[in-house]
Amino acid sequence: MADEIYTVAYDSETSADERAKPVPADIAIGIDIGTSKCSFAIWNGAEVEVLQNTQIQSTIPSHVLFKDEMPPEGFSYEVPRSGAEILSGSDAFNMKRLIGRVDTDPVVKSSKMLPFMVQTFGIGQIPLIAVPVNNVWRSTTPEEVLAIFLAELKENAEHKLKRPIRKAVLTVPISFSRLQLTRIEQACAMAGIHVFRLMPEPTAVALLYAQQQQQQIIHENMGSGMEKVALIFSMGAGFCDVAITITAGGVSQIKALLGIPVGGEDMLQNIIHYLFPDFGSLEKMKSNRLLRIAVQNAIHELSSQTSVEVKVDLRDGKIKSRSLTRVEFEEVNHKVFVKCEKLIAQCLLDARLTAEDLSDVILVGGCSSVPKIRSLVLSLCKKEDSYDGIDPLEASVRGAATEGAIASGASDASGSLDLLTIQVTTTSLGIRVDGGDFVPIIRRNTSVPVRKEMVFTTANDDQAEALVVVYEGESRRAEENIILGYFKITGIPSGPRGSAEVGICMDVDTSNVLRVYGGAHLLRTQQAVSPFLEVRMPMADIGQGWSVQALVKIYGSTMDLAATPPNEVQK
Amino acid sequence: MWNRSKLYAAAKILNGALRPRPYLAQVFYPLPPPRRVCSEDSLFHRDSKIFDGSLHHFHLFRIARCTIYSGSPYSTSPGHGDGLVCWKCGEPAPLAGPFLSCVSCRAVQPVDSSVDYFQIFGQERRYELKGENLERIYKEWQKKLHPDLVHSKSEKEKSYADEQSARVIDAYRTLSEPLSRALYLLQLAGILVDEENTIGDPELLAEMMDVREAIEEASDQKTLKEIQSQIRRKHQEWSKSFKDAFDKRDFDFAIIATQRMRYYERAIEEIVKKL
Repeated sequence: MADEIYTVAYDSETSADERAKPVPADIAIGIDIGTSKCSFAIWNGAEVEVLQNTQIQSTIPSHVLFKDEMPPEGFSYEVPRSGAEILSGSDAFNMKRLIGRVDTDPVVKSSKMLPFMVQTFGIGQIPLIAVPVNNVWRSTTPEEVLAIFLAELKENAEHKLKRPIRKAVLTVPISFSRLQLTRIEQACAMAGIHVFRLMPEPTAVALLYAQQQQQQIIHENMGSGMEKVALIFSMGAGFCDVAITITAGGVSQIKALLGIPVGGEDMLQNIIHYLFPDFGSLEKMKSNRLLRIAVQNAIHELSSQTSVEVKVDLRDGKIKSRSLTRVEFEEVNHKVFVKCEKLIAQCLLDARLTAEDLSDVILVGGCSSVPKIRSLVLSLCKKEDSYDGIDPLEASVRGAATEGAIASGASDASGSLDLLTIQVTTTSLGIRVDGGDFVPIIRRNTSVPVRKEMVFTTANDDQAEALVVVYEGESRRAEENIILGYFKITGIPSGPRGSAEVGICMDVDTSNVLRVYGGAHLLRTQQAVSPFLEVRMPMADIGQGWSVQALVKIYGSTMDLAATPPNEVQK
Repeated sequence: MWNRSKLYAAAKILNGALRPRPYLAQVFYPLPPPRRVCSEDSLFHRDSKIFDGSLHHFHLFRIARCTIYSGSPYSTSPGHGDGLVCWKCGEPAPLAGPFLSCVSCRAVQPVDSSVDYFQIFGQERRYELKGENLERIYKEWQKKLHPDLVHSKSEKEKSYADEQSARVIDAYRTLSEPLSRALYLLQLAGILVDEENTIGDPELLAEMMDVREAIEEASDQKTLKEIQSQIRRKHQEWSKSFKDAFDKRDFDFAIIATQRMRYYERAIEEIVKKL
């Protein structure tokens, strides 16, 4: 087996005996589970090594193939080895786009064009996903599909490293809700992997950038060095993420994060729809797959050519052929590009920076090779060219592996692991008050660790109990945000409405764990009536907003909290 | 007399109904219970009939306080007065500077809420900051305190690191913004200014409505930038007024200055959004 070792450019001055340093026994591996491809990497004691699977691939398609042999326990599955296997139609993919989403989610609706079954009822529940195996539709879940290839990655890594793998750092899209992150953790648990940390994809890239800046400073002996501001634009098949980081002396402060579930998959679907409007029924699944692959290849070619011929042999005597120019491609996907532009502009606004403040612009992910994407990012950031020290396709997994080494306590004589990233929260966290308003307690883009308290009051006279419903999101209406859990505060001292004081505290630690504390205060003091209740969120299997409807139905507003009106609580 | 839509628009910008500011999110303020300052005669209470149904809309984010008091029910720290030696190795605290981590064994110390944000950054308790780069000191503290860097240590120390790190983050943010720094100074003096207080000063109201109109009508970037630099100048003037008033302990005027600063900042934000 060819055992090519990937060398990180900045590490080339590391001496041989430093390389021989023993690797701490249990270093977490880095995993990048992409919408279309995954990869894994590890710190080998001197540098990050991107691992290959048994087929000597450093990226593995994020597909799972369901086989028609019927072992006693049900059905078997494996990660497909070839294009022909993918064409057999028994595979599930794009699961990262579907995980943790309910059937009212627009992303789920758009997945109906995928060549497998996504059954929905539009009632806010998890969709049914099924693939045909031996003339029967076999149901599966995104968690199961992810767990299967995570297990495959784990097995490959164990084989390679000749030791058991327990811990992993995974990269995740910024736009993932805490519920989706929980699903990723569940998938990892199914695969026997303990999640050491889930890091937003561009922050993994920010870590690599900080490392390179730091190494350069050490190398050039420039002292503590200048502060560098970088905008990272990461766009893969499923997600588009932007981060802004300020780095100096090995410490990076993430200034702002923003992401949307828009990616190459959307462009692919737009083009398929444009070229072959009759595409899309489950009955013609095989030809749909052929179309999909042909169009995908055409889009790749358009990165280097201005026009391309899409030719699909449907293997039933029919050949479909259409030409596609780059101009057409850009027109059809105009909306996607506008969304990307808005994302960058908003992220700069959130960071309170302008394009002039940026030292570097880093483009990563599969879509970073699309000429229009490159040009729009660079023009918005007022840069001639992008930062070229980072491999756009391996950046995420390398960053994750670096974080895995740092978080596992590995050290390196050349100082390349003396790094610290101060992360920020990706969504606002708050509670429901006044019958349906959302009040953020910890706002989006707040550095972690963070702990904040707010004082609320009761909505009714002599209200002894209060319901605390916790949400994440940016809408001012609680119901438009994502519910993370709820609990009840009891023993509130009686008094007219607006007089009681209920303290709600939220705490996010550096592993992004959210804890919510709540309790009543004795009136006019900051003394707690009884010990505060601590609840870790999201609560398990919280029912997609239904639970709140049920709570409202039973309790009405009898247990509501209210924002304290400043004029009434005079001291 | 102002018409309703104009008033509504003014109210929107004045009260930040578009998007509440992340200011004044104070953690672990080392304070006696604050004295509340409210404007007695706010626009909305006078004219609340006009707004009827939409009134509560403006109060949406009017949470009065977001302070954590020392010795709050969530704090794991034993509080101050413990005697200033390292809890781990017994090394006495250095004579100068805040004692957040031990110089001898590098152990992170429990939060001592008598150390204020200015002390953390080696600054005097004044509005104007002296020379040193806050960002640099902030990052240096994080290198000593951040929980990611104490991963091999005890749960106890990790919780100290969580609290200290969070406190330094908040201190940095509070001091690096002029308005939040001003409000923090007032708070240290025992005065808590309500974040979303409505304004009763007709002169400021009229001025802000003019500004808003000018922003709305501005058709090109050049005009917007001109308005922006005008407002920035005003912001600076009032920032200086705050400093002078605070130095003279004229807190009433200092509060007025912070209100001015807040509205100018919002106006600047509006412009940046349009630019």
